Amino acid sequence: MRKGLFYGLLFTSPAILGFLIFTLGPMIASLVLSLTDYNVFREHTAFVGFDNYSKLFSGEDELFYKSLGVTFYFVLLRVPAVIFISFVIALLLNLNVRGRALFRTIIYLPSIVPAVASAMIWMWLLNPDLGLANSLLRWLHLPAGSWLYSEGSVIPSVVLTTLWGIGGTVIIFLAGLSGIPKQYYEAIEVDGGGWYSKLRHITIPMVTPTIFFNTIMTIIGSFQVFNEAYILTQGGPNNKSLFFVFYLWRTGFRDTEMGYASALAWVLFIIILFFTLIVFKTSKSWVHYEGGERT
Amino acid sequence: MSRPRKSISVLIALLLLLVAILSACSKSSSGQDSSNASSPANSASSASSGGDQSKEQITLRMTVWGAPEEVAAYKVAIKKFEEKYPNITVKLQHIPTDYDTKLTTMVAGNDVPDIAQMESASIAFPLAEQGKFYNLQEFLSSDPDINAERLVPNISYSLEPGNVIGLGPGPETFALFYNEDIFKDAGLTPPPSKASEAWTWDQFVEVAKKLTIDNKGRNATDADFDPKNIKQYGVNFPTWWGSYSNFIFSNGGDFLSEDGKSFALNQPAAVEALQKIADLINVHHVAPSPVQAKNIPAPNIALQTKKVAMDIDGQWVSAGLAQSKVHYNVGVLPIMQKPMTTVVCGMFSMFKSTKHPKEAWELMKALMDPDAAIDMITAGTWMPSYRDWYTEPTLLAKWTENLDSRPSGYKDAIVDVLLNSSHQTPTGYVKNFNKIMDIVNPALDKVWLGQQSAQEAMDSIANKAQAQVKGRRDVKG
Repeated sequence: MRKGLFYGLLFTSPAILGFLIFTLGPMIASLVLSLTDYNVFREHTAFVGFDNYSKLFSGEDELFYKSLGVTFYFVLLRVPAVIFISFVIALLLNLNVRGRALFRTIIYLPSIVPAVASAMIWMWLLNPDLGLANSLLRWLHLPAGSWLYSEGSVIPSVVLTTLWGIGGTVIIFLAGLSGIPKQYYEAIEVDGGGWYSKLRHITIPMVTPTIFFNTIMTIIGSFQVFNEAYILTQGGPNNKSLFFVFYLWRTGFRDTEMGYASALAWVLFIIILFFTLIVFKTSKSWVHYEGGERT
Repeated sequence: MSRPRKSISVLIALLLLLVAILSACSKSSSGQDSSNASSPANSASSASSGGDQSKEQITLRMTVWGAPEEVAAYKVAIKKFEEKYPNITVKLQHIPTDYDTKLTTMVAGNDVPDIAQMESASIAFPLAEQGKFYNLQEFLSSDPDINAERLVPNISYSLEPGNVIGLGPGPETFALFYNEDIFKDAGLTPPPSKASEAWTWDQFVEVAKKLTIDNKGRNATDADFDPKNIKQYGVNFPTWWGSYSNFIFSNGGDFLSEDGKSFALNQPAAVEALQKIADLINVHHVAPSPVQAKNIPAPNIALQTKKVAMDIDGQWVSAGLAQSKVHYNVGVLPIMQKPMTTVVCGMFSMFKSTKHPKEAWELMKALMDPDAAIDMITAGTWMPSYRDWYTEPTLLAKWTENLDSRPSGYKDAIVDVLLNSSHQTPTGYVKNFNKIMDIVNPALDKVWLGQQSAQEAMDSIANKAQAQVKGRRDVKG
């Protein structure tokens, strides 16, 4: 038994050490630094207590609230879109049609394109004058948009570009769907139910754990959006896409106010933790585990 | 029995590895001495302290960004330098992207180079304010070969008067690049190259209108002109501070008041310049808006494909124009009140932590020597940093004559204007420039899009911008 423990620890040590050195250590460090005025270039760092945090919440830093607002809007728009669309795609891919493997590959393919590369492609696609998106709209005699370049449409446009990389979420949904025993559907067929009854009474309840998981991961990922702001918009126009993490990065690495940036990071951590906990709490009432009691 | 023992030795080995990794980390972060202490050549040199300086083996480390051609030019300069000083090895570290992030991390880890290329708009001044750079004035005032007078104006950066923190190896100015064929076909006189004959703003707008053509062939002076379907823009005017600052200065305006105490972009001279530029887009329809500008390709292609007739840009575009063999020329910028161009360039700075300031200074001189960077200069990317290369006819001929990158208007429109009518970049003297611009830029977005007048936009942010004003670096006392 002890030997088992020893080998277990030995073989997991790369992961454990990696976590301790590269995740937990820096986290603790940033928590401590968030209580200081640490600036990389300054010789002396002073302990300032909660000054950084009070500067954040007092409204002195307008960009803090602005970037929070932008990020919340983005999350609110993106999470339902990602969950709904990837679920529908997963349902379609789960149908027994010809070339299913090919379709699955195609859907997943964009996920392996580096985020930077796909952002560049979207920049061209959404170009107001020459981009494919507007060319198509004009061809259909529909009004064209300015996409990333106007204050109103920039966030929805960014959401659109991130939907491109939905493949990972779809794959997880597919795994969830394929875990549903066929007998359940057969039972509905025997009872004379159609596709809607199957979806309503079997499929959706059975994949709630997957929906739950995907929702949490999407919320976390959406709060941490960075590449899009960095590459597509640089926070503009008029700070309407100043995402929180982009603002954090700018504070830390352009203005070198690392202490303040650490405080920003911890605020984001608390926010993500809060929303994750909310989803967890409410999950009791809607997530259904097969054969298990509701916990 | 032997098995557990073996695994224990494996565990010990792992632990040792961990200790080694950790100590390596802490070494680089705690070592106050410069990074090259770890290189054997250098530790040997520091052991044989002082004495025979010329014979000790020294390694200098420098960081740069830039395109492959620029790095190649540095390598040429370094090779010459190493031949002159056989005891010195230069380690060139090229950081093509996220340069500031990388350098910030290096500073945090006390692992800084001896010389670094720096950008005045980013972390150079924050570093200098913390005393991380040598005052190059000390070298400039005692060096036999090079001094402040020998350099062209506006390429040295000072934290405050008398404290030079960086010297630019290749000044860059702004001018009006244009496609000669378009002017010939339209039967218009091309932009003058002499500052004394420069177009007034109204003349410039008039020409730009005639050169802005919609998809039915009508120009912008035509009553039926369709500004929604423009085939050829009269002028491309990038809307960043580098290009609009030319006209703010030309109009007698500034980013800050002369005493450095107040925000000045909401003052009449600056507002007028900004408004006139915005009018090019929204009133005269002769320049692409920032949104439309996303479709304008690189200047050389834009001029070649006649997407634009004129381009207000930095002289660095000469390199691309020369390569694409477009029939182009360069004229002096139109003036609002007086001829003016803003000088922008990267700088070389020396970190205080260097153990070999004398040698680092020699290296810096070697890098600034126009002879070393001659390929870059003749290709069109850079201009020389030494004044005599502008005033001595033989030296001037070396880089301005019989070259695709230096058309006939070049000497008047670029060389003379740099020497006689140039202004320092605002990033060089406006303290807290980035924070001020964080407030100004979003407001200007609205001006370029025609949603607000320049006066409204600048007034609406004046108080917020004023709160970030921290003075000017060129004001004494």
